[in-house]
Amino acid sequence: MKKKPTLGIYGFTGCAGCQLAVLDCEDILVDLFNYVDIKVFYEAMSNNEDVANVDIALVEGSINTNKQLNELKEIREKAGVLVAFGSCANFGGIQAMALGDGKWEQRFTRVYGDAKFTVAIPREAQPIHKFVKVDAFIPGCPPSTPQMLRALTQLLHGNQPTYTNSPVCLECKFRENECLLNDGKLCLGPLTMGGCTAPCPSHNTPCIGCWGIIDEANHTSELKLLKEKGFKTEDIIQRFRIFGGSKIVEKVQKLLEVE
Amino acid sequence: MRALKLSKKDEIKLYDVLKEFGEVWAPVPKGSKYVYGKIEKKEDLVIHEECILPIIPVKKFLMPPDFTMLKFTPSKYSIPEEDIPTTVVVGVPACDIHAVNILDKFYTTDYVDNYYMKRRERLIIIGKSGTPRENCFCHKSNTSIVEEGYDLFFFDLGDYYLVWVGSEKGDDIVRKGADIFSEEVPKDVSKKFVEFRRNRNKSYINDVDLEGVTDLMELMYDAPFWDEFGEKCLSCGQCTMVCPTCTCFNVIDDLALSGETGERRRYWDSCMFKDYSLVAGQHNFRESKAERLKLWYTHKLKAFIGHFGSPSCVGCGRCIETCPVDINVVTVVEKMKG
Ligand code: SF4
Ligand code: SF4
Ligand code: SF4
Ligand code: SF4
Ligand code: SF4
Repeated sequence: MKKKPTLGIYGFTGCAGCQLAVLDCEDILVDLFNYVDIKVFYEAMSNNEDVANVDIALVEGSINTNKQLNELKEIREKAGVLVAFGSCANFGGIQAMALGDGKWEQRFTRVYGDAKFTVAIPREAQPIHKFVKVDAFIPGCPPSTPQMLRALTQLLHGNQPTYTNSPVCLECKFRENECLLNDGKLCLGPLTMGGCTAPCPSHNTPCIGCWGIIDEANHTSELKLLKEKGFKTEDIIQRFRIFGGSKIVEKVQKLLEVE
Repeated sequence: MRALKLSKKDEIKLYDVLKEFGEVWAPVPKGSKYVYGKIEKKEDLVIHEECILPIIPVKKFLMPPDFTMLKFTPSKYSIPEEDIPTTVVVGVPACDIHAVNILDKFYTTDYVDNYYMKRRERLIIIGKSGTPRENCFCHKSNTSIVEEGYDLFFFDLGDYYLVWVGSEKGDDIVRKGADIFSEEVPKDVSKKFVEFRRNRNKSYINDVDLEGVTDLMELMYDAPFWDEFGEKCLSCGQCTMVCPTCTCFNVIDDLALSGETGERRRYWDSCMFKDYSLVAGQHNFRESKAERLKLWYTHKLKAFIGHFGSPSCVGCGRCIETCPVDINVVTVVEKMKG
């Protein structure tokens, strides 16, 4: 039998939910062991090598300390293909919601005062592509099983993963939901990458954008619409920011200039 | 074609007759709207006085939003043995039956789509004419009455329904339900029918003027209002999902980890999404949202005439009710007419 491709699953700052989502594949997980040789799996293995030479590295989480940054660089050097795995790795996650909102040092001091850090020197949360070349991404908070398996399969066979480049609204309509925006709710469905199968609007809860911003997102129009519906600009921008991470920063600046 | 009478006092028995022919589906409430849902009890089969437009139209029975077309291995493929039940859908408004007639043409002219046909053969449509809703404009799009495409069609004439039989299957149903469908139609039926039609025609609220829009689509193709709409459009795709005559889909192959077996999925796509018009080499025919909106409205108001003899907008008004930023047939026509 051909040598199995090697896989490393690494995690930085996040909730570890993306790694758990791999374990959550359950029946298919056993099958996965037949096709890949997992060298590192921070969340699930006890005898992890530190950073291994692997064909494919899935990296979860944002970079929040200098130590993590060094480790990320090492992962990059030792990986054939490096994949940003989940929202935190891709956009910074909720820990990056204040990106670009004043100086990080000031925000940090406001919370931690002049505490001294010895183990790991903290830094502003950033997605991994800010530091290293990322070859592919898998969106999601956490990624859905079908999306993740599709991407992994594509990677294992040397293809670029495809992702859902349609907004949450598509799947929301598949599920025959009444549109919450039309009901005066602050739903970010049109601005958000699909693939989650729209669980939130299907339970009458507005989408808060956890899958990340879709390329085509029209924040300017949605901001205008939501203001017409009576929401305050700050509240709307705040909502845009929750999962907007690095991607929203530029857009928010532009939007505020328009204000 | 023949017409019969169904007394309202016998309406409750309708479910038991229909259920002999397949699953019975009808509008059921969801939030402040309706969806087509499966009816399990005879009391739940409600025939409404007004027209009911479920969020997703009848097309969901004919081309499901997301389904597996086939499964494959390196040497062969198989079409999953689907157990597609015969479905009797009750309470379909005239506009939506026109839409099904359009889908029939679209999916059977030139190339026959077997996935569609399989479902179409198993769909029994029971139409119902009702009071127009706020956004309806079928009186302007020539779709307020329907002559074909249904199996039975109901008109509410007071204490009874006048039931038109439109197909052999429809005929089977009235035969099976011989104790509730009566050949003895009251003598004043034509008077009542004319009265019903007259009242209905008077009750439209939406007054959109479609006169000449086909030509205007051509003349206004480069008008600046398209860019204004383009700036507003959220590219949410809702207009295409709710429109009863939108048919676009995407096909992808999902491989198993082995890379050898897999399945082919087909799911609704939308021309409002950028990737829809993306082709090899990263070329995109319709990069801007304005271009995509123009394509859609050309398709709804003009292009279909050349191929199939009528526009593909049937006047249901769903786009009016659904688009969060008010891009719809009415606002587009208003802009075109200045
Ligand atoms: S409820 Fe939200 S996700 Fe659903 S269609 Fe409306 S805006 Fe899109
Ligand atoms: S918040 Fe939005 S993107 Fe996240 S799961 Fe809910 S619907 Fe999907
Ligand atoms: S457009 Fe006409 S047929 Fe359709 S729901 Fe409205 S009134 Fe009824
Ligand atoms: S374009 Fe609008 S009004 Fe016309 S059929 Fe489609 S959804 Fe209905
Ligand atoms: S026209 Fe309206 S409903 Fe259609 S994609 Fe644009 S914003 Fe969404």
